[in-house]
Amino acid sequence: MTWRELLRRTGWVDGLAVVAVLLVTLLALAAPWLAPFDPQLRVAPAFLPPSASHWFGTDEIGRDMFSRVLLGVQGTWLPALAVIGVSMVVGSCIGLVSGYFGGWVDMVLQRATDLFLILPSVLVALAVTATLGPGLINTMLALMLFWWSWYARITRDEVRRLVARPHFEAARATGIHPARLILRHLLPGVMPALAVAATLDVVNVVLIMSLLSFLGLGQPAPAAELGAMTARSLDSLVAYWWLPVIPAAAIMLICLVANLAGDALRSSLRGS
Amino acid sequence: MARRGGRRDQRLTMAAAPVLAVRDLSVALSRNGRSSRVLEAVSFAVAPHEIVALVGASGSGKSTLGLAIQGLLPRDARPEISGSICVAEAELVGAAEPALRQIRRSLVRVVPQDPLSGLDPTMTIGRQMAGKAREREAIAWLRRTGIADPERVARSYPHRLSGGQRQRVLIAMAMLARPRLLIADEPTTALDVLTQAQVLETLRGLTRAEGSALLFITHDLAVATSLADRVVVLEAGQVVEIGPVGAMLAAPQAAATRRLLAARYDLGSDRNRPLPAEGASVAWPAARRDASKVLELVGVSKTLGRRQVVHQVDLSIEAGESVAVVGESGAGKSTLLRIAAGLTKPDAGTVTRLGETRPQIVFQDPVAALTPWLSVGEQVADRLRGLGLNTAERRRRLGEAFAMVGLPESLMAALPGELSVGQCQRAVLARAIVVPPRLLLCDEPASAIDMPLAAAMLNLIGALRRRLGMALLFVTHDIAAARLIGDRIAVMQDGAVIEAGEAEALIARPATAHTRALVAAIPRFETAR
Repeated sequence: MTWRELLRRTGWVDGLAVVAVLLVTLLALAAPWLAPFDPQLRVAPAFLPPSASHWFGTDEIGRDMFSRVLLGVQGTWLPALAVIGVSMVVGSCIGLVSGYFGGWVDMVLQRATDLFLILPSVLVALAVTATLGPGLINTMLALMLFWWSWYARITRDEVRRLVARPHFEAARATGIHPARLILRHLLPGVMPALAVAATLDVVNVVLIMSLLSFLGLGQPAPAAELGAMTARSLDSLVAYWWLPVIPAAAIMLICLVANLAGDALRSSLRGS
Repeated sequence: MARRGGRRDQRLTMAAAPVLAVRDLSVALSRNGRSSRVLEAVSFAVAPHEIVALVGASGSGKSTLGLAIQGLLPRDARPEISGSICVAEAELVGAAEPALRQIRRSLVRVVPQDPLSGLDPTMTIGRQMAGKAREREAIAWLRRTGIADPERVARSYPHRLSGGQRQRVLIAMAMLARPRLLIADEPTTALDVLTQAQVLETLRGLTRAEGSALLFITHDLAVATSLADRVVVLEAGQVVEIGPVGAMLAAPQAAATRRLLAARYDLGSDRNRPLPAEGASVAWPAARRDASKVLELVGVSKTLGRRQVVHQVDLSIEAGESVAVVGESGAGKSTLLRIAAGLTKPDAGTVTRLGETRPQIVFQDPVAALTPWLSVGEQVADRLRGLGLNTAERRRRLGEAFAMVGLPESLMAALPGELSVGQCQRAVLARAIVVPPRLLLCDEPASAIDMPLAAAMLNLIGALRRRLGMALLFVTHDIAAARLIGDRIAVMQDGAVIEAGEAEALIARPATAHTRALVAAIPRFETAR
């Protein structure tokens, strides 16, 4: 299975999901320039309903909701990608070493991985952020602390599967350098499975980060954070519905896009 | 090989209505949206009691024909069929699925190529053959296929049986329905030579005794001629030759038949020159030999689980020498090769190797031996890393290796999946010789592929080892291949070398009963009919 084949096999629905992921990423990256108003400043009367000048209305102190949601998407999507990315790198390194060497190395690394896998992730994240104090970096650190273990396990299992295949034994028997063996003859075979897991995992990170900020452990008050925005305005759901509903819908949309992309990857891999 | 009985009876019944009549059959299958002709105006008939061999190289359409006769062409390939296939006067082309099912249930039965995938791993043999009611009948059939203890086999699950036993079970299963036509699709390629000979004998005996007709699909002309009354040769979807075995061997009409005959090797082939598979050939040059030992095994033993797979083996190979190790599957020859390669550590004994370049191995399945996501050029070039060569030098050596194995350079960027089996074979050899080792190890490199490819492989290995001065350890179950490739032959049985010596002398005067059996199991052309 190669990336070339993967692209060729992707149908148009799946292609759309991939485009959507790219679009959300682009939106998140360009949010500061796309936002029509400063998300932190009072720019209009409070509680304006959605209109042509303020697409998503304004909040309780007159800040532009559209700008705040855009920045919120940035503040959720990019940290989620960072958490997944770091976890993937750390996890796949540990998994590759563990699976390639086997024996006691595998034993030690996998029991360590088990330890992190069985920790109740939300509780630990809560505890860590509560200790370090709320803030974006601390939240990310708290998540990365145990998130890698999932990738280490996937990588290790894939590596064990590949190591038993005749092509790997044949490559190993030629006597080429172990680093080359691992990077070229193992890693590309692991990547598709890792990529599928990662895209489906974005949702989990987004939801946990939203949950943390919903509980007040995310970024501090003035920052535009989707979870926090939903939480703070939940009691005005009846009077000013757009305040909690629009950020919540943005979270939902992000999760949906990531999930569809994951499904697209998975279905194109299943054909192999 | 024993003369078959019933030849006269069969002549008499030729006039009777054929069991299978294929008339003007054309089949087109589509792949990736492109439709292509697989069979073109194929016509032949099989009479009751008759054994017909359907012979062709891989890709000739013989398996498609076998599937068409069962009404089992893959539906995804949107088959377009024209012409007619009649089994016992029932028309298959255009028949509805229930009718086809009825035909498959009672008229046409199949012995598949891979015996393990033809059996349900979750059911005992007796249960999947017959269910409760007909168990005694099933056991009787198992006994008739030559299974010594059919009661035990009927109670066993498939994984407890040997390859030969599984194939016999499938034959018994097929015969249980007393079909009018039995189709055997390469039923012996997965078996070693001794078992192959026994299974062929079983098939022949049952066909004669039961009066079913047998359509035997194979790429191996020698197997075909030793078994069949008539041969149908297919090439590129067309019947290029059809007729009695004797006539075809005496005067092959079609170029394809001559090619198949030329690629065929047996114990009478000339071992002083390449096989004439790719045209006439000149004698091999003498190999560069010297008395230094590139491999020396002394008292090597290995136990895997509770079984001693290699027992007290002494074996040494001199520089430039070629040694073939012959034995049945399970004789320990592959383990011996792994020990020689340094992939497996022996429990006892010493292994001494000469030379800095580690011995290279050519494995049995060339496609599985290549990493599917790396281009073949990259995989061959892998071995050139760490030698202190610059890029230009590396490119040159890579090009040389490709040229030596006869692969066009344009295939360097191709992935293994884009190559044919023959090309993968050459790529695997290119990887082995791009930095020539002192010792090349080959594990059954010619047994999982069809005859013309096997002949090409043997020729190529023979040429490369002489040109590059490599010593060769060649493991095989086929003593005919061993004789062609080896200066010396060592025969292994139950983990021990029971006999060793110069190839010709050993085959001419085998000292042990086992070697005699291996020699006798090689199918030979019955030209003197």
